[in-house]
Amino acid sequence: MDDTTPHVATPFVMVGATDAAACEGDFCEIPEHHQQAVVNRQLDADLV
Amino acid sequence: MSEPIKVDIWSDVQCPWCYIGKRKFEAGAAIFGDEVEVEYHSFELSPDTPVDFDGTPVDYLSQRKGIPVPQVEEMLARVTGIAKDVGLDYDYDHVHQTNTVISHELIHFAKSKGRQLEMKERLLKAYFVNGEHVGRIPDLVAIAVELGYDEAEVTEALESHRFLPDVKADVALAQEYGIQGVPFFVIDGKYGVSGAQEAEAFANVLAQVKSERAAV
Repeated sequence: MDDTTPHVATPFVMVGATDAAACEGDFCEIPEHHQQAVVNRQLDADLV
Repeated sequence: MSEPIKVDIWSDVQCPWCYIGKRKFEAGAAIFGDEVEVEYHSFELSPDTPVDFDGTPVDYLSQRKGIPVPQVEEMLARVTGIAKDVGLDYDYDHVHQTNTVISHELIHFAKSKGRQLEMKERLLKAYFVNGEHVGRIPDLVAIAVELGYDEAEVTEALESHRFLPDVKADVALAQEYGIQGVPFFVIDGKYGVSGAQEAEAFANVLAQVKSERAAV
């Protein structure tokens, strides 16, 4: 693809949570709510 | 019988959320219940990574992003915990940080044989669970042979980079679509779903497409 190639963006209708975890570039974000879920799970595991 | 709903998924082999998202999508498709047709597309998160990066994923992230080592270790531990929740045993102590372009070529090779989904799953498992190297041709050939492919044919395909144009075409299409992160799901060519969503989100959009088709 070169600079003369027209860009035809497909207008997807975005659905789902806007803060879902994804990787962009060489970095992967970890949303806050996932952190708490894992902390809770670890606390449960510690009790066992 | 109606045609299965097509789902195009952009994903990279070394993307932790892509494997987790794959499991969540599969769970969502199971909730939906009807047939879906999945096609994976290549996405290179870090195309400038050397094949033999000299270090661990912790080294990679701390060096490239300037994040303190303890913080990186904490991040990876959190991702590992989330993976565990969907039945995946990530083993970051043995992950080989690498360039994934040839693994994408192998996925396209498998696609040419009608076996793309099997290879995609196997390579994600190789990278995150098994601690296998997914950047070197001999390692990738070994994985393909394990799946029953002809060693000479796979070796020729990867050494000639016959499927590299297909990888680059996927990456270019992602750019045209404005896809900046993965996993990214396109449902029926209309709906976009970004990230490792909960299973119900995938089930809901699949049901939405089904109801729209029924209304036509």
